[in-house]
Amino acid sequence: MNPVARIALVVAYAVLGLAALGRSSVQISTKLSEAPVPYLVSGVSALLYTVIAVALWRRWAGVALVGTAIELVGVLTVGTLGYVESSWWPDETVWTGYGSAYGWVPLLLPVIALVLLVRERRARTAPGDTPAPRSAV
Amino acid sequence: MDVYTGVVYPLVLAASGVLALAGIVTLLWPRAHRVLRVAVAATYAAVTIHLITVAVLLVSGNSAGLVLTLGYLVASLALLPLLGIGRLGTPEAAAADPDPDRPVLAPDQIARVDAAAAVIIAAALAVLAWRVLTILEAAA
Repeated sequence: MNPVARIALVVAYAVLGLAALGRSSVQISTKLSEAPVPYLVSGVSALLYTVIAVALWRRWAGVALVGTAIELVGVLTVGTLGYVESSWWPDETVWTGYGSAYGWVPLLLPVIALVLLVRERRARTAPGDTPAPRSAV
Repeated sequence: MDVYTGVVYPLVLAASGVLALAGIVTLLWPRAHRVLRVAVAATYAAVTIHLITVAVLLVSGNSAGLVLTLGYLVASLALLPLLGIGRLGTPEAAAADPDPDRPVLAPDQIARVDAAAAVIIAAALAVLAWRVLTILEAAA
């Protein structure tokens, strides 16, 4: 993966992780009983964003790939359930409305990350490829 | 409160706008990295002024929720170290790290990384400032 894209993704995930962490910390610590499912989902998303940011930085490609896949499934599931079963969600999560409160970044980011990670994985496993030199990583 | 809404909040928005613009220009033209560094310094100053002003407002009787307001302010501060994250990719920084996967960036790549980070952080800072304004106005 292009190092500029990789570090930009790290920054984007760190920012999103910070936002989700702040939101979920306040929600879980002050009013968890009011809407446990949405607030716990926010907490899970915060944890996931942090893990993905670290995995991208440390080049744990497998962890990053699985993390972003879970994230995408989470955004799509929560976003869809928010419209189909709105009574399940007395309050919003980071993934509500497919991340509309965050400019749909929670939906776009895993798609971009997955495309880049899968491309990198394919390039690595392509026959006849030699490992990239460190300076190009 | 008038100083906050009339001067400080627009200042943070302006600093965020300039930061984003400098980031976009640097992405396209890495030689503008020097300008981006100036914009980063200005952003640090704007966020500091914002922090002090909100603290003064809170101390002087604004009844905004402390946890949320301070949370957003702390988040603003926590974002700042991500500006200039390209420094972690310099050969010197990588040499000091035993991790073989640590990225080593060329100067133009460092500029582009800083630029991408600046665009992301600028958007986040503007949103945080807007959230703080909303809370303070509701409590005023």
